[in-house]
Amino acid sequence: MTTAKSPVLVIEALLKYPGRVIHELEHNWRAALAGSLLIFALAGMAAYGILVGSFSGGAQLWMAPVKLALGTLLSMLICLPSLYIFACLSGVEARWRTVTGVLFAAVGLSALLLIGFAPVAWIFSQSTDSVAFMAALHLIFWAIGIRFGLRLVEAMGRLLSGSTRKHLKLWGLIFVMVCLQMATTLRPIVGRSEHFLPSEKKFFLAHWIETTCGTNQQKK
Amino acid sequence: MEQFKSLLGGDANRIAASLSPPKVRSFAQYCVIILIGSGLYGSTLGLWRAPLQSLYTAIKFPLLIFLTCAGNGAVNGMLAQLLGSGLSFKQTALAIFMSFAIAATILGGFAPITVFVWYNAPTLQSRNAILGHSMMLLTHVFAIALAGVTANRWLLSLLREMSGRASTARTVLFSWLAGNLFLGAQLAWNLRPFIGSPRLAVQFLRDDPLHGNFYEAVWRALRHLLF
Repeated sequence: MTTAKSPVLVIEALLKYPGRVIHELEHNWRAALAGSLLIFALAGMAAYGILVGSFSGGAQLWMAPVKLALGTLLSMLICLPSLYIFACLSGVEARWRTVTGVLFAAVGLSALLLIGFAPVAWIFSQSTDSVAFMAALHLIFWAIGIRFGLRLVEAMGRLLSGSTRKHLKLWGLIFVMVCLQMATTLRPIVGRSEHFLPSEKKFFLAHWIETTCGTNQQKK
Repeated sequence: MEQFKSLLGGDANRIAASLSPPKVRSFAQYCVIILIGSGLYGSTLGLWRAPLQSLYTAIKFPLLIFLTCAGNGAVNGMLAQLLGSGLSFKQTALAIFMSFAIAATILGGFAPITVFVWYNAPTLQSRNAILGHSMMLLTHVFAIALAGVTANRWLLSLLREMSGRASTARTVLFSWLAGNLFLGAQLAWNLRPFIGSPRLAVQFLRDDPLHGNFYEAVWRALRHLLF
């Protein structure tokens, strides 16, 4: 992966040689590579968002992709300072820009997996009216995707400090919680929406309980 | 930046080398880190109550750290020497400043997350204001506990390096922690409010900041609970 010109090469490197991506970001850093990883992560999330929005149709067809891309970007920005600090605490000899690039790569990888799951999600979205079921399904796919993404962050710890430390695992947990809360802040992403953002503030666990109990279910 | 990274990376050899002899520049660097990191985090502590409370807490949080360091400076230095750590007064002060600087850096890194939690917490005017207060409180307890534990683990490894004995390092750290927690809890009580109670006015200090103490309040709370 000598250049970031071809998106196919970036995708291939993310899937087959994640260590090489980290190496490139640390030793041969280029804004083009980091930028393409960010664009790939956001575009991937937005693409999956179209599928999520297709469940309800209408305005959700544009709202869901915008919310997923925006939420992902905000979650990354919120957690980036703590990732750098936790990386330093783990003894990682990395620069700020390397850590930023690895975060983009991690989210890009999870977006890639989500796109891989898209046909499965689409089949289910066309065969059910249950918002709770679809939300749970998207959450499971996202959890699988982000698990692989976080493995990339942990690989950064191994490659640049020689060991995986608890700090990066703990940061992963914080990042997951921020993403889950972000999905609640920007709700509804699955299901119908009158407004772009909700007026009421809610903790994500409370929102989930309400969704699974069926108090706020509306497909169309 | 390199020193900052080695500080966070817990490179005990390098940090121990920077302590002998202790440099004024290192003191200044740690002070700046504490001011920025804990000030930034402090501003997010008071944000839920009111913007003015946020400003007050941004001032009071670093102040609490500096007052704790100053109040216990002499006794910490004495204990370090009595317990055989081999650290001088200046080295003791610098080591403790270093641990607070690490904690402040971690807290500063958490500031965007706590702002996000604040954005999502039910507001003071809402019917779920108590839930909002609890959310903020729990988030801050988690963040401060994590920063404190990490900073003290680093301090322990530094003490091991300096004293050459794990048991001495543990004893010295325990004695410092006991003193700092004892004084720190009382100073935090005097400098209250930090988050700000939904039912009380926004103030820099309560009307009677020196009246009563933390331990009396805990004792009263226990009596209410048990009897």
